[in-house]
Amino acid sequence: MTPLLAARGVSRRFGSHLALGETDLEVRPREVLALVGPNGAGKSTLLALLAGALEPSSGVVERRARVGWMPQRPAHYGRLSARQNLELFARLEGAGDAAASLERFELPDDGRPAAALSVGNRQRLDLAISMLGSPDVLLLDEPTAALDPRQRRRLWELAGAVREHGGAVVLVTQSAEDVERVADRVAVLQDGRLVYDGDVAEGVALLA
Amino acid sequence: MKVLLLLRKDLLILRRSPALLGVLLAYPVVIAILIGLLAGYANAKPRVALVDEDHLPATIVLAGKSFHVDRAIDEVAKNVRLVRMSRSQGESELRSGRVAALVRIPPGFLETLQGLVSSPHLILETGSGGITSRVRQQMQALVYNLNLRLQQAFVAADLRYVELLRHGGTGRALGRTFDIIGFAGASGLLRGLPRTKSVRELERFFRDAQLALTLTTGPIKATATPIVLVEESGRGRSSLLGAQVQSYGLALTITFLSLLLAAGSLAAERDENVIGRLARGLVSLGQLVWAKVLLAAAVALALGVTIAVAFGIAVDAGRVAGGEPWQRLPVALVGTLLAGASVGAAGALVGALAREARGASLAAILLALPVIFVGLVPREIVPPAGWVSDAFPFVHAVRFFGSALYDSAPWGTLLREGAWLLGLGLLFGTVARAAARRLAA
Repeated sequence: MTPLLAARGVSRRFGSHLALGETDLEVRPREVLALVGPNGAGKSTLLALLAGALEPSSGVVERRARVGWMPQRPAHYGRLSARQNLELFARLEGAGDAAASLERFELPDDGRPAAALSVGNRQRLDLAISMLGSPDVLLLDEPTAALDPRQRRRLWELAGAVREHGGAVVLVTQSAEDVERVADRVAVLQDGRLVYDGDVAEGVALLA
Repeated sequence: MKVLLLLRKDLLILRRSPALLGVLLAYPVVIAILIGLLAGYANAKPRVALVDEDHLPATIVLAGKSFHVDRAIDEVAKNVRLVRMSRSQGESELRSGRVAALVRIPPGFLETLQGLVSSPHLILETGSGGITSRVRQQMQALVYNLNLRLQQAFVAADLRYVELLRHGGTGRALGRTFDIIGFAGASGLLRGLPRTKSVRELERFFRDAQLALTLTTGPIKATATPIVLVEESGRGRSSLLGAQVQSYGLALTITFLSLLLAAGSLAAERDENVIGRLARGLVSLGQLVWAKVLLAAAVALALGVTIAVAFGIAVDAGRVAGGEPWQRLPVALVGTLLAGASVGAAGALVGALAREARGASLAAILLALPVIFVGLVPREIVPPAGWVSDAFPFVHAVRFFGSALYDSAPWGTLLREGAWLLGLGLLFGTVARAAARRLAA
């Protein structure tokens, strides 16, 4: 099966620090892949490389699908409102409807600057922005950290929907519960190296 | 198109940040006022030591005219502040720089002056460099003014001698009093003598001499003062509305605003963590940099319009002649766009190198201040300052605005300075584009 995304010998250095050694990873259609590992293992770096937000120091990333990326830290303009952020990114993407996204992700539309929103709302705004281009592959970096149970459930429904439509979700998480609940496959990173790529049960065991 | 979207976003952010906008506008205005005050201080009277070794009396009499010494010095010393002190104190203060120069009145000065045989000397001692040449000129002006007053007294005395020669009477010269009968008295005596040929020739000579002395008054005055400078005030533009003030005001405000804005807003893209989102193919780093250059140019244009219109109204209201505040406004606004873009490109470079907004703002201020100050140093006085300031847009903006608003034939200067602004903008923008890779790292 042709992968939607593939990292081929990808590595990334920040100055003299090697954040991610040469790594090969494929993301296939109709799967949720969980990227797990301890802090500083290189998970967020690998996700940013897959998203195209970072240039690899070596290797290539092959993208055969539209990619949506939700980074770990808020990634929108704090002085603009949620609507203004969505309108801006929709126009830059050339796709998406700001008003529909506001409604779909239950975001406040009162003109407040995004920086004044709650952490959970800011995370949902990031998720809404990453979904604007109707991506086939959704890259989520610790997406449930600030979500309440209801929003968390809605996120998993969203991930399920992407998978059902032939897409894929790559999820960075520290939560074994989330992995067991939604992942089809697990990749484990340690000290900047991919040490496991396989089924969920064994991956979760490594995580423990 | 995407550059315009980013520009619109930045303008929206500015509109939603009134406090930031207020500070950005107020700060350069405050700096411009401070520099204006500093320029005023530079024009202030330098302190000069006056060492009187001749112990001049409070009042002296020269050519029959009394001079109150301190009052006379105060009246002529318009551009320096003379402070009386001893020679040792004066020399000590000159060495330490507390006085800019020392003027010494040597012993025997007054006696030589009153003797009218030779010119007494005033001794001027100065430091080196800095304002020495200005102090020297001001002291020369002071001596010129003193000489002018003395000349008037001496000419009056000379004319009194002429009158003595014509009509006779009692006079005083070289400390001696004398009585003379004058030509009028001599003519009377001649009339009582027998009418010999010699007496008739003497009478003719006295007539011619009296006529010649009568005509002497004007030439004596003219010889004493061949050229008289008459000052007519109120015809020039006040310094506040001067061409230089407006040009510097515009350039300074644009430099601060554009540099800070471009540097801060580019670095803020990283602070907001959106650089990764944008770099995923939504917007290239080049587009991001040029959007900041456009932002700086747009805000500079808005600010330039405001300042130029305010000056134009002030010039009109003051009925000040000279300059073209309205006719040349479009050209000046082209200059604000070019200057804003050029400085904005330099600001984008600062923003790309600094990587975070607070550091970028600090770096922009640290860069703006020396760039502006080095641009204020006249290149005739410190040539290296001219070479350094040529590498930054500030001084080119000053020349562009000055020429656009006030030169009668501005086009050569406008083309040259416009090309400098454009070239520097492209150079800084290209380097900023390369440096922006750091933002995405």
